[in-house]
Amino acid sequence: MTIRVLDPTHEKSAAGLKLAPRHRSLAGQTIGFISNGKEGTKGFFTELERGLREQLGVAKVVWRTKSNYSAPADTHIADEIKRWQAVITGVGD
Amino acid sequence: MNQVALVSKSFEVDDFAAAQELYHANGWTDGLPVVPPTETAVRACLEWALMPPDQLLGIEPVREQPITAEKLAVNAVMAGCLPMHFPIVATAWQAMMKEEFLLHGITSSTGGCAVLVVINGPVRHEIGANATFNALGNSDRATAVIGRALRLGLINLLDVRSGGIDRSTLGHPGKFSYCLTEDEEDTTWQSLSVVRGIPSDASAVTVMAAMAPRQIMNEWTTDPREILETFAAEMRANQLNYSIYGGNYVIVIPKQLREPIERAGWSKRDVAEFLFERARVRRGDWASVGKGSVVRDRADKIHTALGSPDDLLVVAAGGPAGGFGAVIPPWMGSKTRAVTAAIGVCVDCEP
Repeated sequence: MTIRVLDPTHEKSAAGLKLAPRHRSLAGQTIGFISNGKEGTKGFFTELERGLREQLGVAKVVWRTKSNYSAPADTHIADEIKRWQAVITGVGD
Repeated sequence: MNQVALVSKSFEVDDFAAAQELYHANGWTDGLPVVPPTETAVRACLEWALMPPDQLLGIEPVREQPITAEKLAVNAVMAGCLPMHFPIVATAWQAMMKEEFLLHGITSSTGGCAVLVVINGPVRHEIGANATFNALGNSDRATAVIGRALRLGLINLLDVRSGGIDRSTLGHPGKFSYCLTEDEEDTTWQSLSVVRGIPSDASAVTVMAAMAPRQIMNEWTTDPREILETFAAEMRANQLNYSIYGGNYVIVIPKQLREPIERAGWSKRDVAEFLFERARVRRGDWASVGKGSVVRDRADKIHTALGSPDDLLVVAAGGPAGGFGAVIPPWMGSKTRAVTAAIGVCVDCEP
């Protein structure tokens, strides 16, 4: 005898979040880094900034660090994002 | 009366074994077999809790993921829950979604904590939970399946899968199920939920983002100070070896160590105040465990394991014999807070 069973997942019912439009080029742009504050981000973002400037012509890189590495970015940091053309955030342990 | 239709997609499978393969293949399990969630079983949970399927239990605050009664009930059935377990699972989830619990942080962290659940009040009898032998292990059906339901919900409703959202370096066995009840009948102490402000005739759950239990042993004294000094030493060890920062700690005190403390007239508050004073370390002591590089110029700074005595959650539980106890440390200091909620009460309703 067959059994009819139910899907236990959210079935992608998340609120309407979607990706921002992609950039064709980062040349001359301002990029924000949002660090979670862990030690490993320093080396990672330093190297990333060098690559963005030298290889992709990024004009300016703004560094910000969250006050709590496990929580979303602080409001004042989130408010700054609109002044940047792109933002990079990542985990560094 | 018309029933509200369930919205979950359904699948037809040949038999029980085929259901297992479907759920495992899709990453919908914790690795153990699951009870196939049929509409009948899910509706029975919802009816017991008097919840329509589309009742919104809350919204996970970071990823803005709505959690409905139907979807949580599907996961509870999979975990092995009976309908009478479901109100406890739903209340625990509502507590987990309170902002101070930091659900996204605690479930995604490399730290690898689990959600500890402590059940208090009359509901313990209804569900046949056992707060004595093996209280932190496989003590009974109810606590096993309720703790598991929280984890399956995290996996399926918030995508907390290993290597996905869940970035735990190690994790611990409590991530399968981490639930106990308090032995309220065999203690003179107030229950945990009463200490935390819930009326004594109400049932309640307390959730905490918790590391694995650290077991202590001291069967060679009946002096409350000496007994509690062993707990304090374990808390200090956790501060040095894991995280120095203060937050909620649970201590579980079984009967053999609890009785002399109670007989001496100590309340849970007295226990908490003693451990607040004794469980503290100098930052410079980090150098003795290989962490000298982060002492910097603050060697004399004192770090307390508890931000205040209120941070200690004392639980009377465990088998009747054995001079053992357990310290359950927080995931990471005070970044997350334990939350207590009464069962059957709307935790987000405004007065």
